[in-house]
Amino acid sequence: MRNLAAVLFIGGLGFFLFVLFFRLPLGAPPLVAGAAILEEGGETVGAANLVTAVLLAYRGMDTLGELSILFAAATAVGLVLGRRQLVVSDPEGGFILRAGSDLLFPLLLVVGLYVILHGHLTPGGGFQGGVILAAAFFVPVLARPRRGLDHGLLSFVEGLAGAAFIGIGLWALFARDAFLEPLLGKGVLGHLFSAGTLPLLSMAVGLKVGAELAGLMTSLMEAEGRES
Amino acid sequence: MLPLILPVVLPLLAAFLVMPLARMSALIARALGPIVLTTSLVLLLPCCLDPPAQPLVLAIGNFAPPLGIVFYGDRLALLFANAVALFFLLFWDWRGGNPQQARQDALMLLLAASATGLALSGDLFNLYVFYELAAVASFGLVSLSGTGPALVATVRYLLVSAFGSVLALAGIALLYLQTGTLNLAQLGIDPEPLQGPAGLLAFGLMVIGFGVKAELFPLNYWVPEVYASAPARISALLAGLISKLAVLILLRLLVLVYGDTAAPQILLFLGILTIFFGEFSAWRAQDFPRMIAFSSIGQLGLVFIAFSLSGSWGVLAGIAVALHHLLVKSALFGLAHRWSGSLQALTGSAQRTPLAAALFVLFALSLIGVPPLPGFWTKILVLAGLAQEGSALAFTGLGAILLVTAVEAHYLFRFALQLYEKVENAPAGFRSFWEFLPSLLLGAALLAVTLRINPVADRLRAITQQAADRSFYITQVFPQAAAHRKDQP
Amino acid sequence: MALDFVSILYIGALGLLLLGTFGLVTTTHLFRLILALALAEAGVNLLLILSGYRGGAQPPILGFGPQDMPMVDPIPQALVLTAIVIGVGVQALAVAAAVRIYRRYGTLDLVALKAHLEGDLARKQGIAPPKSAEKPAGERPLSPVPPRPQEP
Repeated sequence: MRNLAAVLFIGGLGFFLFVLFFRLPLGAPPLVAGAAILEEGGETVGAANLVTAVLLAYRGMDTLGELSILFAAATAVGLVLGRRQLVVSDPEGGFILRAGSDLLFPLLLVVGLYVILHGHLTPGGGFQGGVILAAAFFVPVLARPRRGLDHGLLSFVEGLAGAAFIGIGLWALFARDAFLEPLLGKGVLGHLFSAGTLPLLSMAVGLKVGAELAGLMTSLMEAEGRES
Repeated sequence: MLPLILPVVLPLLAAFLVMPLARMSALIARALGPIVLTTSLVLLLPCCLDPPAQPLVLAIGNFAPPLGIVFYGDRLALLFANAVALFFLLFWDWRGGNPQQARQDALMLLLAASATGLALSGDLFNLYVFYELAAVASFGLVSLSGTGPALVATVRYLLVSAFGSVLALAGIALLYLQTGTLNLAQLGIDPEPLQGPAGLLAFGLMVIGFGVKAELFPLNYWVPEVYASAPARISALLAGLISKLAVLILLRLLVLVYGDTAAPQILLFLGILTIFFGEFSAWRAQDFPRMIAFSSIGQLGLVFIAFSLSGSWGVLAGIAVALHHLLVKSALFGLAHRWSGSLQALTGSAQRTPLAAALFVLFALSLIGVPPLPGFWTKILVLAGLAQEGSALAFTGLGAILLVTAVEAHYLFRFALQLYEKVENAPAGFRSFWEFLPSLLLGAALLAVTLRINPVADRLRAITQQAADRSFYITQVFPQAAAHRKDQP
Repeated sequence: MALDFVSILYIGALGLLLLGTFGLVTTTHLFRLILALALAEAGVNLLLILSGYRGGAQPPILGFGPQDMPMVDPIPQALVLTAIVIGVGVQALAVAAAVRIYRRYGTLDLVALKAHLEGDLARKQGIAPPKSAEKPAGERPLSPVPPRPQEP
């Protein structure tokens, strides 16, 4: 009965939404703030990838907020799961798993760093690269669950990377009186060393996201263990 | 000019550094939070006491408004930003001693930063990000005790809140689809396309979404269980401060975009439902934390009813009710620190802790709206506004407020009488005077406002004048757009 | 009305959102609720990124495609990245809480958990536990709250 009511309600809502939506400019929305960014983004920020320009320059505050949210989630997970000594119950991986993880680790590391450093040129950036970095550190843990990751080190990297992001922002505040304004030369559009401080910010984001996600996944894995 | 960004960024920086620092020196890590919050307070206080004539507008990263994010600090925003620093210092965990102290401090700092951001930001998506940051930080803080009820309450709160955020984000997407901008002032320049059904749907989605923290009906059933199982300090901050900041987002949208549409009617309707739900549940509650939690829902219903009034009167009434509730409800949750049990068990508490009981009576009187206290003036503002409005729904709201005031008076007096009952072995309650110091300070503030109601009212009027003026907001952020508008009215 | 590419994407986005909402309304199992939330979030993220989509445009990367082609709006693409990361954080937290709750109560059914919550709170505060607003069906009554060893 309850399900039927829900089906009817959701169906009605869906019909209403579809009718409403198809009166909107689908596929040709007004381009107001975006148009200006497309126009001047390359010159003002110097990043070929305009999404990264938006992410780290125009809306850098959002990115800082988002880093904080991930940090808050990781901290809260630590609080919720507590710091009890748990014995990881997962068995050690077999030879194939261990050898595979050993092989994958350097590859993932390089790909992750590449994606982070080329964030201002090609699709990718701090977040995407950070996730790959997290995977690089998490795959060996999957193969050898008992070894785990050093949470102290992770929280250190996490904290310092976040502080570095804000530090670059504050540097701009003191140098140019505007928080997070890109500094340094803009360089040649499309070159690796271009777009001023953007690659540095990207690096900070990547390290922070990588450390946080790796920490999150490891905490969740450890939470499955039996209490000693 | 004051770097408006610092009160947001410094707590974030401190939050990132607390945990690494705690490994080196626990003392420095403990001191970091209060130091940073005091710094924000010192930075912000001059702007609040002697506000600049023009609001502080800050384009972050020097990117002109519609491209980048704008912080907009008018008198209202600065007042709230100040209140954030002040209340976080008041309800800071000064005693410490938690094994996870560094984590807790980090989350408190994140919550403080997000609350300041919510007060200051002038960009819809940036507000959403800060709102989510407040949500995630509060999940961690609510589950602080780690007991079973706290965890279940947290996870229910999390699901409701995350669903609300999904809806709010859908609303933002819908707005962006129609306008191509996220800047509140730019949305306000040409609100007409948003006043159709699709725009109103977006507003409705955002009301439900941001209404989760603002304890607005229908997504407010998480409130009592969370406030009953969370530490009282956290409940005080969430019920007092964070809920008001969620209201502030809706106020900005209402003033800038949706003032002339059916949106106020939606708010009035939801406000009436909220006030009924809250006050009648409070009447039935059997324990102190849940009684004041439900009462806080009722008060926020009153805030929404006030904001539904047209013109600057509604803004004035709404801000007055919100500030009054901020003061009173934080203080009541400050008392809940020790009075966490059932109402029955607190019978006769006045014998051991007369000061706390007297404080409760003071706050209860103000909540009900007994004449010289500020609560009276705030309620009168709302009632007079509703009477002026004259529509059927407005009169329903008027009747609802009068009715629930009677209910409110009944349960608050019932409990006050219980406190003063003579019993054999009175409950111990507070161990020392320091445990309800925040409530005591807030009580003193309430009395100060009562005695100097005229200057406070003048200040409120000045705040409202800025906050309720749509074209003023737009001119401050887009000077050229306003000139353009004057040519073709 | 001919269904073009964009319309299909919109229908998919709204459909995901509604499906997630449906799941959130109908299930009481905590893990399924988290999955339903993930579905709804995916729908909204799709909606958000579509709000900047323009038919026939290329990605907003300079020097990537032909010079004169229009590009899609870069802002929603940045927004959606933010929204995704937020979603990940919230879901991770939800799962962590679910793990702890399962260890404590041995169930993930939210109706049962709510009863435990009310019972525990009532016991802590010394009041009568409220009668559940939602009456259990006759054939499967809720088991009485069993005495549990306190967690260390």
